[in-house]
Amino acid sequence: MCALGAVGVCLALPRRGLTPQVIGAAVAGLAAGVVVLALTLKNPEHRPNVYFYIFAAVALGSAVRVITHPKPVYAALYFILTIIASAGLYLVLSAEFMAFALIIVYAGAILITYLFVIMLASQSASEETDKGEEEYDISAREPIAASVVGFLLLATLTAFAFRGASELPGSVAATSGLDKHPLSVGVVERETLILGDMPRRVEQELRRAGLLQAGDKVVVSEDGAADIDLAGRTIGVIRSGGVTERVEIPSGFMPKNVESVGFNLLRDHPGSIEIAGVVLLMAMLGAVVLSRKQVELDEELKKQQSRRLAGEPGEGGAA
Amino acid sequence: MMWLLAQAGHPAAMHEATLAHYLFVAVAMFVIGVIGFLTRRNLIVMFLCTELMFLAAGIAAIAFGRFWLDYTGQSLVIFVVTVAAAEAAMALALVVLLFRKRETLSAEAWQELKG
Amino acid sequence: MTMLADMLAAMTSPATGGKVPQGAGLMMLVPALTLLGVVLCTLCAIFRVKNKLPAWISVGCLVGSFVAVAATYAGFDGGAKIAHGFEWITFHWSDAPVSGGKASFVANFSFYIDSLTLLWMLFVTGLATLIALYASEYMSHDVGTGYCRFFVAFCLFVFSMACLVMGDNMLLLYLGWEGVGLCSYLLIGYFYKKPSAVAAAKKAFIMNRIGDLGLALGIMLTFVHFGSIEYTVIFEKAKPYLAAMSEGRYGDIPTMVKVIPLLLMVGAFGKSAQLPLYVWLPDAMEGPTPVSALIHAATMVTAGVYLIARTYPLFLLSEWALPIVAWVGTLTAFLAATIGMAQFDIKRIMAYSTVSQLGYMFAGLGVLASTGAAFHVFTHAFFKAMLFLSCGAVMHGFAGQLDLRKLSGVAFMKGWGIVGIAMFVGCLNLAGFPFTAGYFSKDMILAEAFTTPGMAGIGWVLLLTAGLTAYYTFRVFFRVFVGPKYYEPGDEVHAHADHGHDSHGHDGHAKDSHGHGEHAGDHAGGHGGGHGGGHEFHPHAPGWAINSVLAILTVATIAAAGAYFLKPADGGHGGWVGGMVHSSSAAFESPFAHHGAEGGAEGGANGGAGQAQGHAGGLPSAFRTGEAGHGGTFLGWDPHKVMYYVSAVVGAVGILAAFVLHYAGRTTAARSRADGLLPMVGGVSRLAQRKWLVDELYDALVRKPLWVLSNVFHLIDKLVVDGLVDLAGFIPRAVGGSIRPAQSGVLHGYALGMAGGLALFLVIVLLVTFA
Repeated sequence: MCALGAVGVCLALPRRGLTPQVIGAAVAGLAAGVVVLALTLKNPEHRPNVYFYIFAAVALGSAVRVITHPKPVYAALYFILTIIASAGLYLVLSAEFMAFALIIVYAGAILITYLFVIMLASQSASEETDKGEEEYDISAREPIAASVVGFLLLATLTAFAFRGASELPGSVAATSGLDKHPLSVGVVERETLILGDMPRRVEQELRRAGLLQAGDKVVVSEDGAADIDLAGRTIGVIRSGGVTERVEIPSGFMPKNVESVGFNLLRDHPGSIEIAGVVLLMAMLGAVVLSRKQVELDEELKKQQSRRLAGEPGEGGAA
Repeated sequence: MMWLLAQAGHPAAMHEATLAHYLFVAVAMFVIGVIGFLTRRNLIVMFLCTELMFLAAGIAAIAFGRFWLDYTGQSLVIFVVTVAAAEAAMALALVVLLFRKRETLSAEAWQELKG
Repeated sequence: MTMLADMLAAMTSPATGGKVPQGAGLMMLVPALTLLGVVLCTLCAIFRVKNKLPAWISVGCLVGSFVAVAATYAGFDGGAKIAHGFEWITFHWSDAPVSGGKASFVANFSFYIDSLTLLWMLFVTGLATLIALYASEYMSHDVGTGYCRFFVAFCLFVFSMACLVMGDNMLLLYLGWEGVGLCSYLLIGYFYKKPSAVAAAKKAFIMNRIGDLGLALGIMLTFVHFGSIEYTVIFEKAKPYLAAMSEGRYGDIPTMVKVIPLLLMVGAFGKSAQLPLYVWLPDAMEGPTPVSALIHAATMVTAGVYLIARTYPLFLLSEWALPIVAWVGTLTAFLAATIGMAQFDIKRIMAYSTVSQLGYMFAGLGVLASTGAAFHVFTHAFFKAMLFLSCGAVMHGFAGQLDLRKLSGVAFMKGWGIVGIAMFVGCLNLAGFPFTAGYFSKDMILAEAFTTPGMAGIGWVLLLTAGLTAYYTFRVFFRVFVGPKYYEPGDEVHAHADHGHDSHGHDGHAKDSHGHGEHAGDHAGGHGGGHGGGHEFHPHAPGWAINSVLAILTVATIAAAGAYFLKPADGGHGGWVGGMVHSSSAAFESPFAHHGAEGGAEGGANGGAGQAQGHAGGLPSAFRTGEAGHGGTFLGWDPHKVMYYVSAVVGAVGILAAFVLHYAGRTTAARSRADGLLPMVGGVSRLAQRKWLVDELYDALVRKPLWVLSNVFHLIDKLVVDGLVDLAGFIPRAVGGSIRPAQSGVLHGYALGMAGGLALFLVIVLLVTFA
């Protein structure tokens, strides 16, 4: 409860009237920092490293900017920044594939679409206003209520996180590797077996470890799996001379993140993949169908509009 | 990656964050998204905030996956991103239609369900 | 119709349980015929008959009823007979034997025919027939509009009266009681477009209802105590009590039995217009005159007297019942007489005289002169009906004029002779002129009042009232029927005014005979002027129907006096009526019935004294004066002998006073010598004229509080009851209205709600799981 209270007090978010921005941002940042500090103090042996702080700060900061910037284009751009920071967080979490997938898909596709639409919508609407800002963009709606609600949410969720923090297993000490992880018992086997499904990969690993020379091959069973003995931690190898041998599993014998994710995706969630494909198809068709509906402007307005669109640069240039 | 860095003896990999830290970040981003959704009136920016919430959920999923040493979290994020993409497409199409109807992007132009 | 068939079968079938003797079954024809009349007149109404058919139907049915009654009387051999109609109501809820046990309630549609019943039914049906005939002409203005309605109610009335009088159980009596009340309401309110008539009808009905409450309670108590409401059973069970009473052991009689008559008399007071429930009768004059004559003079108002006479044994059982009845009757008689003296509307005067004479009858019952009371009922029916019918003829002929200040010398106008004679005879009877029927009947009561110990006060008041009665009766006669001829038309002048007739003739030689002969009417003196040129009012002399009825009634009234002298079959005394009464329940084992009602011709001093001695011990304590063994006396003389002369003198004084004040020296219709007395008695006279403000008293005591109460309830209903209901409707609207702003239609509002709800939910979960 005290954690809840501490968090609550710290997160006195200022008004998002979208005018006294800087002060608000500063206060918010301060509050966030205090929270994180509190977190750290709770588990002193697990201080996060600097990369976490950097990425986290950037992510949160640009997220704040997303919601507070009056111009929608800027909001979208800040969002892209947020995405990149999140990708960095993913990297810290050893999810490399996801990190880059995020950047490619999210930032590279979705947000570009957003930008297109923003420009499309803003173009035809905001010709009259000189500031180029819509009234609905400038002023926030019920900032106090929203802030209160948000703060409540934050407080409760953080409280959950704090409470639960002590019960969840701590971070994996990188130096000790996976052996000391309480969950690591089965994980190692799992990971090893994943690699086992890819004999060429196993060879690649062994070669990297220097245990395999050119011409050597790994013993492959009928279903294409490499012969890995988990109990004795050995791998069956066929030397170039045809001699079968068992070499020890080298340290760091881990699949890459992509492979793991791939295996998990296809082995454990095949149905979801299909459905995801269908969903994408539906979305595409839907978007096409929806945007086919044209609002019929009469000829005069069409001409006016096209003239306007064409004449703007000229006007701008003449003026 | 961290264990790579750890193997390399990079001092930055000496310490790692706890799950709570990541969760805090995720929660904070989510809440920022909520506040933004409740606050902004521009339809597109509102959807942007929903995307922010998706992102936050993704962070949380990855963090959990990492700490439970299960790759399901990352699979989940793949799906989340997929759905987010689909939803974003639909949403933007609808927004464009709505915009054509009322010539404004304000969410307050649509109040016909008023009690 | 099946009921009719049942009745006919009952008549012709062998005796059911030995209860249908010869002759009594004919009485079933009475209700049957009257109901038939009702049905046929209703059919006339439905088919909008436009002639006098309903009247002939009614007269026919009533004649048939009268013939049935007369035939039954002719073949009657005494005792009490039951004519069984059909089993009407029988509740049986226990296995105890039906009769005598308390476990059943039996009320059959049967008739208890004894001599009292026959006495009543004779004059009821007879008068009903005559008055129906009278009404056929009187109501002729309404042929096609209300004519049928009138006769429907008329026949229904006779049916109800028959049930009342002939019923063998108190429930049938009550049915008839309510029925006559209903018909009275219908007939008083016959001119339903007149607000005063409607108000009078309501007043009559409501006051009757007040009395009916007492009657109903009495009937219920009777059932509770005696286990049955059939007369035979009640009389049977009352025998031990009567034995106790005759020995003076009033303590042995249970209190409940003593309470019964007190309740029954309340009903009688309501129906027969005694204090305090008499105020409806004068207002009932709003109804057509035949109604007033039949219902409010002769039949309905005697129902109360009949009730007490029929349940006389029960009244004897209570020490206070009969004295109360006597005093109430006396006071009513006196009060009504005083009011009647100061009224100007002749019908009203007759109404008050009815109230007054009813008081006489009640007083008669109360002083144990049941014979006298019954005789007075009998004679009063005839002459009061005649008086009313004569007034009605006047009203009918003079377009509704009833003010005695605006009419004079009517008896001498052309065509009005019979009316004059009838009126004269009637007034003589009412005033108690010697040798008229009214004289004898009133005399019986007066004598009895002085004979019965302790009732002398009643006797003096009644004597005084007799004088007042004579005065105001002849005031009417001398003002309206004799004297200078003058008339003014009333308010009901018809559009088709008759050709003019100069009416303001002051005739000097307009004195006429009054008093002596009975054939005094002459048609002399057609003094009217010639036919004027204008459309002035012409009085409408009565037609054959009215005249014939009046003639018949005159003869009957005169003949009724003779009933006094007929010796009854059983050798008793009191004339024919006495005989009828003695063999009925009105004299049921009462030792007093033979006491003192000596015929005038018989010496009764020794008999009276001896008998008085025999049962003085059995008199109710209120009757005792401490003079054991001696009947009361009138100033020392034996009342029976002396009363003839005393009442004659008193009557003569009254008539003389009326003569002096209202006839002698009167030249106009409007003023007489009585007006010269006004400065002396003005205040009292005015008060009397305003009916002693009794109506206003009732209004203030009863009606106004009820109005206030009803307004209070109205407010409660509007505010509380309706308020609650409105609240039930208001609450959902209010709740809805207060929640509606949440539906702002703006997306953000809903989103805020969702997020806020989520936050709240999480807070709760947090508190629950981590607290």
